[in-house]
This record gives sequence, C-alpha cells and structure tokens, in this order.
Amino acid sequence: MLALALVLTLTPGAGSSPGLRPGLVVLRTVLLTAAPFWVFLLVLHDVATTVAIGLRITTMVASFVWLVAALEPARLVEAMVAAGWSASLAYLFGATLSAVPVLKARAQRIVEAQRARGLSARGGIAARLRALRALALPLVLSALHEVDERALALETRGLVPGIRRTPLAPPPDTPVERAARWALLLACLFALFRRVM
Amino acid sequence: MRSLTLEGVSFWYPATDSPALRNVSLHVARGEIVALVGALGAGASTLLLVAADLAPRVTGGRLTGSAARHDRSGIVLPTPWTQASGMAFSVWDEVAFGPANLGWPTHEIARQVDRALEQLELAPLASRDPVTLSGGELQRVIIAAILAMDPGLVLLDEPAAELDSDGARTLWRLIRLLAKEGKAVLLATSTLDALPEVADRVVWLEDGAIRAVGPPDLLADVAACDAGLGTSVATVWRTSGLPGPYPLTVAHALRRWR
Amino acid sequence: MIPVLRLDGVSFSYGSVPALADVSFDIAPGERVALLGRNGAGKSTVVRLIAGLQRPDEGTVWVGDWDTRDCAPEELARRVGSLFQHADQQLFASSVRDDVSFGPRALGVGEREVERRTDDALEDLDLTPHAAHHPYDLPPALRKLAALAGVLALEPALLVLDEPTIGLDRALRARVTRGLLERSAAGAAVLVITHDLTFAAETLERGLVLDRGTLACDEPLAALLGDATRLEPLGLEPPPVAALSAALDLPGRPVRAAEAARELARVARGRPAP
Repeated sequence: MLALALVLTLTPGAGSSPGLRPGLVVLRTVLLTAAPFWVFLLVLHDVATTVAIGLRITTMVASFVWLVAALEPARLVEAMVAAGWSASLAYLFGATLSAVPVLKARAQRIVEAQRARGLSARGGIAARLRALRALALPLVLSALHEVDERALALETRGLVPGIRRTPLAPPPDTPVERAARWALLLACLFALFRRVM
Repeated sequence: MRSLTLEGVSFWYPATDSPALRNVSLHVARGEIVALVGALGAGASTLLLVAADLAPRVTGGRLTGSAARHDRSGIVLPTPWTQASGMAFSVWDEVAFGPANLGWPTHEIARQVDRALEQLELAPLASRDPVTLSGGELQRVIIAAILAMDPGLVLLDEPAAELDSDGARTLWRLIRLLAKEGKAVLLATSTLDALPEVADRVVWLEDGAIRAVGPPDLLADVAACDAGLGTSVATVWRTSGLPGPYPLTVAHALRRWR
Repeated sequence: MIPVLRLDGVSFSYGSVPALADVSFDIAPGERVALLGRNGAGKSTVVRLIAGLQRPDEGTVWVGDWDTRDCAPEELARRVGSLFQHADQQLFASSVRDDVSFGPRALGVGEREVERRTDDALEDLDLTPHAAHHPYDLPPALRKLAALAGVLALEPALLVLDEPTIGLDRALRARVTRGLLERSAAGAAVLVITHDLTFAAETLERGLVLDRGTLACDEPLAALLGDATRLEPLGLEPPPVAALSAALDLPGRPVRAAEAARELARVARGRPAP
C-alpha cells in the first residue's frame, strides 16, 4: 500500500506543471507532515511497532496530500456536476481544495510587504516565531474577511440553488477508470473484512 | 421601458444605526447610461448592491421602500478579484463559469463567451490561466464574465479603476455599445472626466441621499466644482475666477475661448 | 553625489517571458518621478527589483551605494520604502497605529523616534482620527492610505509606490499628493507607478515611460504630458488639464490645475472684451 502511495506521490499532478519537481514537493510535504507522528511513536513504542504503525500513517497522509496536490478543483467541480451533484455542493468541495493555493499566494504577498518594511525572519527562534505570528494574523484575518466578500461575489456569478449547472468539459469517464474505481472499492472492503475477521 | 425602479429606498447595513441610503428614488431605462458620482462612502456602491438584489438579501441589513427590476442584472464589483471563480483553467473557462451556472446549453455558452471576449478585446488571453493575469487584465475578464451572462441591467462599480488609458477607452466605448443594444447601464465612477461622453444622466449622491440629478452638465455646476465633483476643465475654470457657466470638456472650453 | 537610485542596464525575465530590457536611469534626492506605461509594460517589475524581491538577470540596481544583489528586502527597507499593489490587503496589526509603527520599530530606532515617525506619517495623510481603529474596520480606500502611512513612517531616502491612488476619490488623492510633496521637500526621492496622469501631473515632475520593457522616454513630465503625438504610441493620452492648456495655448502650457487656472485668468484679463 505504502509503496503504491509513494509511487503515486512521484507522478506529476493532473494538468499542472509536468515533471518530477512537483512530485518531489509533494513527497517532501508528506514526509514533513508524517515526521511528528514518527517521533511520537518512537517515544511510545518499540521499533517494530513504530515502523508498522508509522507506515500506515504515512500512507494515509500521502494519500491526502497527493489528492490535494493532484486534483485540480476545477476538474472536481466539473466531474461532480456531470455526475449530478448540485453546483453549490461541488463548489464547496472545489473551493476547499483551491483554498490552499489562494492562501499560499496571499501569504507570499503579505510576507513580501512585511519584508519591505523591515521584518526579518532570520535570527533565532524568537525572531522566526515573531515573523510567523506577523504572517498568520493578517493571513487569517484577510481570509476571513474575504469569505464574506466571496460569498457575495459568487452570488454575482450565478451560483443559485435549484439551477442545474451545465458541465463545460467533464473529465471523461473511461470504462478502465470505472473498473479501477470498483476494483479499489472492493479491495478496501476486502481489506476491511480481513481486518475484522 | 424601465429596467430598474427604486422608490424611496433607505437601507441600513446590519448592526448600523445610520442608513447607507436615504430615501433614494431612481429609475434606469433600457438603453440608458446613468452614472453615480459622489465622495467615497456616499452610497454609490450600496446603491448598486441594492440594484443587484444583493442588499439586503445577501449582505443582510434592512431596506425600506421598493426596488423593482424588470431584467436580470449583472454586477461588476469594485474588487473584481473576489469575483473570480478560483477554479477555471483558462480565461475562457472563467468567463464561461457564469453562463454554465445558469444552466445554458453548451452552444449558447460558447456564443456568449466568444462575444464577451471579443467585446473586451480579450481573445489573445483566452487560454491564459487567470492566476497569471495582471490587475487590469483581471478586471476586464470579470467584466466579460458578467456580460457573458447577458444581463439586461448592467451594474458597474468603478470598472476602469485598474485599466490603463487604452483599456479605459475600450471600456467606455463598449458601455455605449451596450446601451445601444438596449441594455440599461448603471455605473459608479470617480473618473468624472470620461462621463460627458458616456453618461446620459448623472446622479450626485451625498451621505446616502440624492443631491442632484441631471445631464452630465451637472458636473460643471458651481456646487459640483466646489464639492470636488466637477470635471477637471470645469474645476480649472471655476478656480480661475472666470464667470460661469463653466465648460465641461476641453472641446467646450475651446468653443468658449474663441 | 551618488544618486538615491540607479538602474544600470537592467534586464529581467520571468522565466522565458521578458519583462525589462536594458533599462537605465538615475534618481536624485528630492526628485519626484512618474513611471508610466501601458499595463504589462514592466512597471511593477521595476518596483520588485528595487525592493530586492527579484534580482536583475543583467545589469545592476543600485540603491545608494548598495547593490540590491547583495541585500535582502528587509535590509533595503532602511533606504527604500516600497508600497505594492493592493496594499489594502497587506495590513497586519490590530490597529492602524500599530501597523504604521511596525516599520520604524523594525528599523530599530528608539521608541520615542518610532512614535514621532508614526505620528508624522498619520498626520501627513490625515489618518490620525483613525489611528486606533482596526484596519479591517476601515473601508479599502482608507486601508490603502494606512498602508502608505506605514511606508512613509520608514522615512526612507526613496519612496517607491505602485499605483497608490486606485480606488481613492479626489479628496483622498489630494491627501496623497500633499503627503508626497511634503516628503520630497524634506529630501526624499519619490518614484510612483501610476496610470492616473492627472495625479502624476499634480504630484510629480519627471516622467519615465516604459514601452514593452524598454525605457522609451525620460523627460520633464510637464512637457511630456502636453504632447499627444508622443504619448499616443505609448498607449497614453494627455490628462484633461494638459489637454486644455495645449488647446487654449496657455503660456507655459501648465499641467497642474492651479497653475492652469492662474494662466487662464491672466490671459482672460489681457484679452479685449468680446
């Protein structure tokens, strides 16, 4: 399972910049996110148990991170709408996924503005923490502030409940993919069954 | 034929005592271009939100009086980047977002999107990722996106704010074209100098109430000049101490001067 | 005397997309310069290079005697105060005063000096009544002014502002003009990117025009703004006051409202009655 997940993390994301680079970025994110768990486990358990549980956790983390990285919000919205979900619900899923790059872009702009006013992130832990706090506050505030504005703004783009959205370019659903989906679902059920028995 | 009729509208934002709009009565006919002018906070943006049926429905707050719309409205906010869907691969998809949400058939969507892109001279940018656009380009994309929804009542809040002079000129020309096609246009702007060539009527808002309504010549009135709402040419004439009536534009001034 | 800013054969590309090609100019202390040009001509790139957020591919950006290649943006903040676009989204303190005082405090000047600089910056833009407010309680236009105050409070030798007047009404634009004139009188150099040529005419005196990444013009603003034949190929047009001066052939072809009014009155007085 983990091997599969790791291989997937290295494949380029759908549609976005091709190549190994984004795969490595995702891998790095996975390792960084999973690292605290490993430390925690090592403190509590012996090596064998640590490895067993750690691998499972890393696989879970890898799946999520890969999903967010590889799945473009637009395709998700299109696919959901084509499958019959309401536009607002599809958009909710999509917006959650796209929140990360939007926030990332905004964080970058805020950091640049702060650096241009003398904020230095170098130096000891204290300086870094201060810089982090100086970033976190406006990021969260402006994101929250924007939620209000966004709700209003999206109304202006026709997201009205009750109207069936027209899919523009629904991702194709080939028989192979459908078969793969069922196979994966069955594999999960089988694994669950094996666990429980 | 009226597109928008506001009668005695007063509006309070949630948890505010003083109204953002006081007893405003205004109508906009199809084919007409009405411009809202006033100092910041005078109520132009709020008026547009009421016209778009977003206030109080989405913003919350309280409204008294009546607001009647006879056409579907489309509004371009002064913060166009908030109106970006955030999930379009390309400018084309971004502009198509609205029409798709309205459930139109694919060929109709394509027709409206292509037309809107052409009107805003965005065809060269059609396959660009919206994230890479500059402020001015994004503003034009959002305007196209709203026009692609084919609103009968077009509401624009500072549509030229981020545009350079080529872009602004294209915009004003487009607005005149929209009116000729029979759309009703209500816009708020602080670029007063463009209005004599664009607006049929000018509405001067002060503290949420209508202080004056009239043809663009209003912007050459003594009162307007003194309030900082005169055109540049009229203001210069006023400051010079020369007698009124003040010329509205350079062309008027030249005629007067001869 | 070394210039406050010097761009020396600067070229820069975003990946494979060229943004600037061989741009060179100097700015002396106290000068007020407009950086003009169509959207996409490369103006914002110049700001990012001066602020040290990017390094030039070729050539050098000198801030005083510092090569921006050797400096981090936070170091350059000692000499350059940069205001980026959409500054209203970049505030981060819980009160306007706290936000404005952030810069001088980061510079490490004494607490009393921090207070003085903050008060002066707020005063210059008439923001003192809002000093205790939370930035996000203010409308975006006032937030923009607060962001500008934060940059003024650095009291740098060079102010670089990217579109500081978008979204401001005439009264607020006049505040910005006053603030910048005062700073320049005190010796600061000012470089403003703007497509508001009326604002440029009222506030600035020298015009640099970028055209597709190259410097097409570097001359006194007053002469440039009145010349429609020069401006048109660059995607610009004379602002109304300059156009009026040219049309009426006012002596000196003033581009500022007050001067135009004076000349107009003078010429009118000297004319025979109709």
